[in-house]
Amino acid sequence: MNKNLSKVIIQIFLISFVFLALGPILWAVVTSFLPLSSLTAKPIDLDPTKFTLTNYVEVLDTSRGLMSGLINSMIIATFTSAVALTVGSAAAYALARLSLPGSNAILLSILATQMFPGIVIAIPLFIVMSRLGMIDTHLGLMFVYLSFVLPIVIWILKGFFESIPIQLEKAAAIDGATNTQTFRYIILPISLPPLFATGVFAFIESWNEFFFAIILTRINVKTAPIAISEFAGQYRTLYGQMLASAVLASLPVVILAIIFRRFILEGFVEGAVKS
Amino acid sequence: MATLKLVNVSKRFGEVTACSNIDLVVNEGEFITLLGPSGCGKTTLLNVVAGLEEVSEGEIWIQDRMVNDLSPYDRNLAMVFQNYALYPHMTVAENIGFSMRLRKRPKAEIAERVNQVANTLELEKLLDRLPRELSGGQQQRVAIGRAVIREPAIFLFDEPFSNLDAALRVRMRVEIKELHQRLGTTSVFVTHDQEEALSLSDRIAVMQFGRIKQFGTPEQVYSLPTSKYVARFIGSPQLDIFEGEFESTDGQWYYRIGNERFQMPDLTQLPDESPDLGVRPEHILLGSEGVPASVHLVQPIGPFTYVTVNWEGGSATARVSGVSHLRPRDKVNLSFDTSGLLFFDRQSSMRVELS
Repeated sequence: MNKNLSKVIIQIFLISFVFLALGPILWAVVTSFLPLSSLTAKPIDLDPTKFTLTNYVEVLDTSRGLMSGLINSMIIATFTSAVALTVGSAAAYALARLSLPGSNAILLSILATQMFPGIVIAIPLFIVMSRLGMIDTHLGLMFVYLSFVLPIVIWILKGFFESIPIQLEKAAAIDGATNTQTFRYIILPISLPPLFATGVFAFIESWNEFFFAIILTRINVKTAPIAISEFAGQYRTLYGQMLASAVLASLPVVILAIIFRRFILEGFVEGAVKS
Repeated sequence: MATLKLVNVSKRFGEVTACSNIDLVVNEGEFITLLGPSGCGKTTLLNVVAGLEEVSEGEIWIQDRMVNDLSPYDRNLAMVFQNYALYPHMTVAENIGFSMRLRKRPKAEIAERVNQVANTLELEKLLDRLPRELSGGQQQRVAIGRAVIREPAIFLFDEPFSNLDAALRVRMRVEIKELHQRLGTTSVFVTHDQEEALSLSDRIAVMQFGRIKQFGTPEQVYSLPTSKYVARFIGSPQLDIFEGEFESTDGQWYYRIGNERFQMPDLTQLPDESPDLGVRPEHILLGSEGVPASVHLVQPIGPFTYVTVNWEGGSATARVSGVSHLRPRDKVNLSFDTSGLLFFDRQSSMRVELS
């Protein structure tokens, strides 16, 4: 009896948590299908007969900037996660396995870069980027995103690499593999789940980033979050279109998570358990 | 096949010395065991020989080549690890053939060799399985197959059976011994299990604190241990060691333990100070003659029964043939078979030969 009661309580808790998490998303999806008049009506008019696709048609118009924002975000997030994974996995492997002089200091300084809030480095970063002529370029934003994605990728993957039994590498060395071959034929294939997991994480981080994007872009490289924010004007806010854009912008991330969900779960579990 | 020679080999990790001044010669085709408790440096020594750890001092020779600076692969040896270390994402066939794939051998050749090796190890039906789909014994055989396919000059085994259950362990022991008889490859086997060492080896190196305490045949380390340490480590149950004094009455020598004394064989030369006496269970006799004792524990193990008794000198474990009818608290008499007595110097713990 007691057991059942606690089960029920846990389930109530979980269900309310799911509602809490899904609520805003549900709200965004519903309102994205409503005309502005319904949204500004008091009380809000949720009449399903008024559901319309106008918001979506409007925001997909190329002149509205969302499409180019999505493309920019896609380019930047893809490249950022690709570079973060390539460089990050090699660095993490080296830090986990090779006896590098000062590897602890390197690890700590990598972590230290994460201790400053973005706002602290915003102005110096802006100056550096503008001197380098990298304001409003894909490359510029990519570098900035890498600077905060890469350290986390390195730390996550280092933990995973350390959990791989060292005997595997010894066995490969005995079989005649060089360090590079061991990494390529043994470590990399068994690291695919955590690599996918961290890759998706890096992608989402860069995809959602707003603060540096608004500082470091002007016209050409506006990312999706910036394009969405621009539906809020000085005189009026186009709620329907804004939320339609938000829904569209969430789709790639949701799709990514669905495709790789098995890997993401495995990845995080494997990193946690040492065998 | 090759000889392996270690000359004054030491391995240090910072301040910690794992192996010191090891001299060891393993003859061509010989099967030797590094035996010792955990932390005695035996696995480190194996890693040093394999080239997985750099040697801090000394020379390692394989056949007539000094291999200190050669990579593990170039030393032409193969190793079987304690936890098998099979590549988890590769099938059995891929695991066994990995070293050939690295050398870019043609696929047909790899497949042929893998099949040959799989046949000798009865793995032919498992070639397409992944390691996680195999039992412990099968995994161990794959690990052995991965070593065999290399046709190495030397096999290294790092406690390969310690993750297996008792029955499987005995079976794998037989398989390794058969494999060695068939291939005749020089082998170095690391274990902490003295029974494994005794049953497999041509010679055993008993290690303690990073040093080799004795290197000899199983008979030598068992019957003529050089020190108390080796005597205690080899043999199960452990031999009993008693502290007593020699004394002579009417030209007959006795070894006195407490108030009881045991007649000794004819001795002409005695050390200045009386040594300790070590007696293995098979040399402790229980019967109607000797000093009074009381049965404490009876452990039947099939062909023998180990009977532990308490007497004035402490406790002693005797090996009795077959089933013993003794029960705890039974009264018996204890004596020693003087042909198998071992004496150890009280200061140095080294065995002394009395004549």
